[in-house]
Amino acid sequence: MKKVIEGSQAVSEAARLARVQVIAAYPITPQTHIVEALSGYCSNGTLDARFINVESEHSAMAAVIGAASGGARAFTASSSHGLAYMHELLHWASAARLPIVMAEVNRALGPGWNIWTDQTDSLAQRDTGWIQLYCEDGQEVLDTTLQAFRLAEELNLPVMVILDAFYLSHTFEPIDIPDQQLVDRFLPRLSPRIKMDTANPGALNQLVTPAAYMEMRYNTQLAMQSAQDCLEKIEKEFAAVFNRTHGPVEAIRCRDADIIMVTTGTVTGTCRQVLADLRSRGEKVGLFKLKLFRPFPSNLICRHLGAAKKIAVIDRNISFGAGGIFAQEIRAALCNLDRPPRIFSYVAGLGGRDITPNTLVEIYNETKTKPTPKQESVWIGLNQEIVGTWRN
Amino acid sequence: MNDSSINQIPLFIPHSSTSTMVNKTGSWRFFHPKFVEKTAPCSAACPLGQDIARIEMLTSWGLLKDAWQTILKENPFPAICGRVCFHPCENACNRADMDEPIAIHRLERFLGDTAVSDGSKADFNIKPAKGKKVAIAGAGPAGLAAAYFLTRLGYGCEVFEARSEPGGLLRWGIPAYRLPRDILDKEISRIKDLGVTIHCETPVTENLLEKIRSEYKALFVACGYERSITLKIQGGDLARDGLEFLRNPHPAENPSLGRTAAIVGGGNTAIDVARSLVRRGVSVLIVYRRRLEDMPAFEPEAAMAVKEGVKIMELVTPIRIQKNSSNRSSSLPDFRLTLQQMKVGKKKIAGRACVVPDGEKTETIDVQNIFVAIGAKAEPIWQSLNANEPNSLDLRHCRLIEQKIPVVLGGDLTTPDKSVTDAVASGKQAAMALDTYFEKGLDAVEKRLAACRVGAGPALSVDTYLDQDRKYRNAHIVGYDEIVSDYFQSAPRVIPADLNAHLSIRSFEEISATYASDAAKKEAARCFNCGICNACDFCRLYCPEMAVIVDKTKRRINMDYCKGCGVCATECPRNAMALEEEIK
Amino acid sequence: MAQLKYNDLMNPGHLGCPGCGATIAMKFALQALGEKTMVVIPACCWGVIAGPYPQSALKVPILHTAFATAGAAASGLRAALDMRGDTETTVLSWAGDGGTFDIGFQSLSGAVERNEDCIFVCYDNEAYMNTGVQRSSATPYGTRTTTTPAEKWKKTGKKNIVEALAAHRIPYAATASIGYPEDMLRKFGKARKLKGGSRFIHVLATCPTGWRIGSEMSVKIARLAVQTNAFPLYEVEDGINYALNFKGDRKVKEYLTLQGRFHHLTDPDIDQIQKMVDREWNLLLRKAGMQSL
Repeated sequence: MKKVIEGSQAVSEAARLARVQVIAAYPITPQTHIVEALSGYCSNGTLDARFINVESEHSAMAAVIGAASGGARAFTASSSHGLAYMHELLHWASAARLPIVMAEVNRALGPGWNIWTDQTDSLAQRDTGWIQLYCEDGQEVLDTTLQAFRLAEELNLPVMVILDAFYLSHTFEPIDIPDQQLVDRFLPRLSPRIKMDTANPGALNQLVTPAAYMEMRYNTQLAMQSAQDCLEKIEKEFAAVFNRTHGPVEAIRCRDADIIMVTTGTVTGTCRQVLADLRSRGEKVGLFKLKLFRPFPSNLICRHLGAAKKIAVIDRNISFGAGGIFAQEIRAALCNLDRPPRIFSYVAGLGGRDITPNTLVEIYNETKTKPTPKQESVWIGLNQEIVGTWRN
Repeated sequence: MNDSSINQIPLFIPHSSTSTMVNKTGSWRFFHPKFVEKTAPCSAACPLGQDIARIEMLTSWGLLKDAWQTILKENPFPAICGRVCFHPCENACNRADMDEPIAIHRLERFLGDTAVSDGSKADFNIKPAKGKKVAIAGAGPAGLAAAYFLTRLGYGCEVFEARSEPGGLLRWGIPAYRLPRDILDKEISRIKDLGVTIHCETPVTENLLEKIRSEYKALFVACGYERSITLKIQGGDLARDGLEFLRNPHPAENPSLGRTAAIVGGGNTAIDVARSLVRRGVSVLIVYRRRLEDMPAFEPEAAMAVKEGVKIMELVTPIRIQKNSSNRSSSLPDFRLTLQQMKVGKKKIAGRACVVPDGEKTETIDVQNIFVAIGAKAEPIWQSLNANEPNSLDLRHCRLIEQKIPVVLGGDLTTPDKSVTDAVASGKQAAMALDTYFEKGLDAVEKRLAACRVGAGPALSVDTYLDQDRKYRNAHIVGYDEIVSDYFQSAPRVIPADLNAHLSIRSFEEISATYASDAAKKEAARCFNCGICNACDFCRLYCPEMAVIVDKTKRRINMDYCKGCGVCATECPRNAMALEEEIK
Repeated sequence: MAQLKYNDLMNPGHLGCPGCGATIAMKFALQALGEKTMVVIPACCWGVIAGPYPQSALKVPILHTAFATAGAAASGLRAALDMRGDTETTVLSWAGDGGTFDIGFQSLSGAVERNEDCIFVCYDNEAYMNTGVQRSSATPYGTRTTTTPAEKWKKTGKKNIVEALAAHRIPYAATASIGYPEDMLRKFGKARKLKGGSRFIHVLATCPTGWRIGSEMSVKIARLAVQTNAFPLYEVEDGINYALNFKGDRKVKEYLTLQGRFHHLTDPDIDQIQKMVDREWNLLLRKAGMQSL
């Protein structure tokens, strides 16, 4: 049934349809609508689940770890500082191989306090062993959240479904909310591989010496490496039921492109329009949407980007001293090709600054006119007046 | 709808599949604990070395017959000693440092009486017959005890008793209100049931002695002191022998003894005579040479006498007895007793004050009876045997003389303290000495007996001698500082109420009452059980390694896991454990 | 004491130091709680005592979790059990003083404020023992630790955790000591039956290693702490009704002089500690509605 709902609502509808059993979350703008909706479902009986009003995000992740260890389908949501606060436990959840799903709303980290969209928060967690999926629009959010449970439970890896603050979380769109029956068909009840039971007592997550630790990590790596294929399989099944696919990546008119622009999240939506405009002007440009970030789909990167001359990567994030993170990873994926394309790295839209079609055109032009890229990322859209007050 | 064709990689996570039992943490140890039972001070103080801690433990558990059996290992007469013993055990009791000592004496009596009324039979392993006969002179406590222990060791015993019934001082000296005759008979019948023959009215004459020397393998002399010491003063022959009186203090005809009596002496006999006379309706005065505190009589007995109305005059000694000439037409005698007043002199002899006449001060009293109870000695036939012999061995309670046959002197003849319990101890010691003498010769006796000491001695354990469990008991005597008093709560000592003095003097019926079963168990439960394991299980409760294993009733340490922390041994409330260094 | 039906849910071969009070505490706890128990263990000594992979020292399930998370992880586990219809299994959070008083305090406070249906236990060895005897807020005034060395020993008092949780109006909170097994077993039995809300038990668990005493003194010291009122035994219901279980009558000097961690204290220091102990004791008496001495 189609309803006009905001991105946050898409998350909570999906979690409801997925029949999550335990939710533990701490409110943080702009994730609050997610947890409020879920709290409402639990209170009015729409959803049969325990909602734990934890006192911090660190405890939220700890609680879902506890719940998942007890064999429950567990869910949480956070953003920015909340996600950062969970950091040690993100490592814990994946090393414990718990099928936790979390909605993560990309928001800037402070100081200064900034509630608007920025990808640094989720990307700073890229080493924690969570599957990361960056969503473009509300429908994708809902669909991906449902798929995330299947993915997590199949691989025993935690999954982060990521959406931009405000541009996605608080934007209303018409979204198809599927029938519970159909969802049940796609996503059956959890039969957990990890489930604490007094009938079969054992210790979970205890001390491991160098003798076995590395093998455990290798085991996780293998699971992570199979995630791409697993996602593909799940998307096929999803399509069979709901007639929609999103794909780990989307390559639009890349085959004959000289320059390919790489985007993630809501920027992709803007860029589709820009692509159409540029193409109509005869530019040989393509658009590559990166959705699956962890595991990093190197093969798809090579396949779709390898033949282009130049790649313009738009990063709404920064790793200080190294540049835009997506650019770094793409660079690394392509570097062993015989003739890798030139990677032009752009940092834009930090702290919620709008990335407009003009910004994207500027990036395209910059890429087209410069023969070689700078080693450092180029910051687009800086207010030179402000910069001028302290730089000179 | 899951497509199972995708290979699910098996999970490899930190999840346990075995227990920590694969770690034999016993290798960490520097010390290891052991269950080492030690000696309770009560059992070391008991002349018979009874395993009192264990007796009280069994009693508190309601295992009354087992407790009684434990007594019988070392003492054939619980119902007797439980009435007449002077209970040095209670003076040594560690519980006294917390509140009050355990009423061991009363509990022994309770157990003895219960067995008597239940008709309990003891389970003994009697050693196979050795084909040796032993003669015993005197069926008093020492002689009967010797017969008891010797029979258990496999000897055939015959007792020769001068009087008409066995018992010695038990029957012919201690009054019935202290030791009822039916109890006495039952206790003695136990000895007879073992197969001991008692020939009454058969005194050991020179002839019989000769016969014994040729037909028996050994002789135990427990004839006691039958010859009373008389008053060597003017008119001394007018006084009656106290011991003689006690042989039948309550004849059936009950002739009147008049109204007043004086007793010369300060020992147990004097007290017994006094209290018996009270029960015959006589008003009694004891005259004693030294101070009250010097009286050798058992203090509780003397106190009872005073309660019953006996008067005691101290620091006087008789110098003359005269018959009173008077106009009285009564047929009852009337005497005038002249007493010299004494005073404490400068010197002391063996802790007792030396007394000297206090100038010329005298006093006279008129009484209708005068009794003498100033001691006794052995009949002449026995006195010669006591002379120094080259091949003789002085043990604490008896003396072994190598003659044609080995002769052991015991009972009052040799014991340092003249008491029933010491007499029984001498019988036990004699039996062990003779058995060792026969098996290994004279030179082995002292060492063999020393190995059977309870604590540092002098009491000996037959159980140890017979290689039973008592031999494992460590001789260290547990002091109060070794008891973990935190595990015990103060509780009052409860003993049964005795008959009031004014009621008890109306007859020769027994004065002291015995416990009801529950009260006995409760009093026995106050016992710390010093040095022995009473299965309190605190060792097992605390052991962090679950290394205390209970095998039916025995406890042992699982050395695979014990880390030697020592908590068990430190917490054992009664010091029944020890920590030993690990030799790596 | 009546004979216990022994049901040791703990295995030997664990990695506790000889005489470890924390292992004795766990033994008593599981004795009372039985086999339908799941234990949540954050980083602490028990995280190691329970045995390295692939061993376990307990016969009940254990969930090891990160240091600060005992309260939250237990809450989540409880939720999962409720959702699968298991209301019988007890969730036992078993944390050290670090994971309760300090880094774990927030999580515990949150759980107790939510009145989570779990038993939260702090086995208190009065310092971060697992990492090498560093001070915690449970370390008593006067103690020498590796981060409050003898030259500058801890001058702040022990945080009163039971008082803090009583302020949450927790349904049941109590102190216990391994030196008083019957009392401790009773309290765990009571906590087990009080389902439906939060229960907290603060157990004094001797650490021979960190307290610098012989291992054999482990239980005796835990008893002496109570006998000197340094660690009183009491219960609080609903954060308001106090009941004292034991009145100590010994001087705290007897307790302090037996432990190496207090050897640097002078007589005036010990007098000061006695005053502090007396003050806390009197406060406790007033709370329990009894006259202060």
